[in-house]
Amino acid sequence: MIKDFFESVGRYFLFLKQVFRKPEKWGIFWKQAVLETDKLILSSIIITGVISVFIGGVLVIQTASNLENPIIDKMYVGYMVRESLVLEFCSTMIALILAGKMGSNIASEIGSMRITEQIDAMEMMGVNPAGFLVLPKVVSATVLSPVLMLMSFALGLVGGYAVVSATGIITTAQYLTGLKFCYNGFYVFYSCFKMSLFCFLISSISAFNGYYAKGGSLGVGYSSTRSIIVSSILILMFDLIVTQLMLY
Amino acid sequence: MIRVEHIYKGFDGVTVLKDITTDYEAGKCNMIIGRSGSGKTVLLKNLIGLLEPDRGEIFYGDQKLSAMTYDEKKALRQKIGILFQGSALFDFATVIENVMFPMDFFTDWTRAQKIERARFCLNRVNVINSDSKYPNELSGGMQKRVGIARAIALNPSYLFCDEPNSGLDPYTSILIDQLISELTREYGMTTVVNTHDMNSILEIGDKINFIHQGTLLWQGDKTSILSTDCHELRDFLCANTLARNIIEGKR
Ligand SMILES: Nc1ncnc2c1ncn2[C@@H]1O[C@H](COP(=O)(O)OP(=O)(O)OP(=O)(O)O)[C@@H](O)[C@H]1O
Ligand SMILES: [Mg+2]
Repeated sequence: MIKDFFESVGRYFLFLKQVFRKPEKWGIFWKQAVLETDKLILSSIIITGVISVFIGGVLVIQTASNLENPIIDKMYVGYMVRESLVLEFCSTMIALILAGKMGSNIASEIGSMRITEQIDAMEMMGVNPAGFLVLPKVVSATVLSPVLMLMSFALGLVGGYAVVSATGIITTAQYLTGLKFCYNGFYVFYSCFKMSLFCFLISSISAFNGYYAKGGSLGVGYSSTRSIIVSSILILMFDLIVTQLMLY
Repeated sequence: MIRVEHIYKGFDGVTVLKDITTDYEAGKCNMIIGRSGSGKTVLLKNLIGLLEPDRGEIFYGDQKLSAMTYDEKKALRQKIGILFQGSALFDFATVIENVMFPMDFFTDWTRAQKIERARFCLNRVNVINSDSKYPNELSGGMQKRVGIARAIALNPSYLFCDEPNSGLDPYTSILIDQLISELTREYGMTTVVNTHDMNSILEIGDKINFIHQGTLLWQGDKTSILSTDCHELRDFLCANTLARNIIEGKR
């Protein structure tokens, strides 16, 4: 069991080495990167957006109902919503959702190419399959996921605003003051960084699991489940580590 | 020229290949025959380096396959064309893109040149008017033929085919056999074909390896095979009416 664990970790790093070899042709790499961006990032916009709007709204209601104390200024609702969104929700929570969406997509796609010998065929042509199939995914997920985070942040705030103006829990003026209160740009950077790191983990781990899938379609299913579990756990672990390193 | 010396291969303690020694000459159709499950595909995968033999060596010319560096292997692989038993066409690409795939990586041709070459290859395997179909829209036999077109796209020096005519009708099957044999002579390729198709064996088998339960029991060519006295091979051949008539007529 422990031996298996270390073996997998070792294989994962060897796999990464293979992924990051210089692409055979940059033209092909960029073309693939555009396709992958469409498949991994653009197609996640709607789900991310919908979730963000709702969570922003819910956060407003929950925070407001917990700040009953008359001494505390109601504008703190806006402030706290902003901080929860930027610090944790828009990176970690969205990453956990992407671990499901992006992870299963990558693992099952690459896994089924493995079991139908398409990866062998590529390798036998002299193409580096890890480079061709995986590198564009990892690069586009890592580089462009902060855009998703920023979008989620913005839409979360919008969701909050919508609830504030619809219910009148607090005034919109209080909400907006809260949003501007004590603004720390570093938090946005921290969150973007986390998101990038998490999406790197998701894409590389799912690709790794798919790449070494075996045992027919059952194996593909297994590899996709395992990708989601492993990436979710690692996201939470790295969340802790990065937060300790960057914020403390 | 490929030389195989004393290779063994097993999975989880079960030996699949036992002490295989043979060679495959350039410009000849080398065939590996044997019953289903005898180890043909495993042998082929060892030859091309997708599986590593537990013991023994494989030589391409005088280069040891196991001692090649990553770059040497890559260079060698660009000279190899392979048809897998399950075709292994790329799902994400259309028929013509599948054939153009190796060209995209290893040539500097213009798109028009690539398309021309791909059409030429597809014509040779009789796949016409299907350029923009995806592999899942093709019949099994068509997938096979597109697989062959892709394998010969870059005029390989080595051609490996795992059961090129299973799933093809007799007529197309003969076309494919002739194509393989023609290309082999035309370009002096070293061709290795796995098959249990009796027609192909008798038609184009310049050198035949008979594998029985992982052991190389007999080697010879398409004429000597009919007068063999290896009885496992005779049983194998006599399962085919045509071959049985020839063999029994000879006696
Ligand atoms: N990856 C593997 N793991 C375990 N056993 C395997 C593996 N690949 C092949 N075998 C075993 O090796 C033996 C030979 O299989 P192989 O695929 O070479 O047969 P074959 O001669 O190509 O048969 P067919 O004509 O049906 O394709 C079989 O008994 C098979 O179970
Ligand atoms: Mg086989």
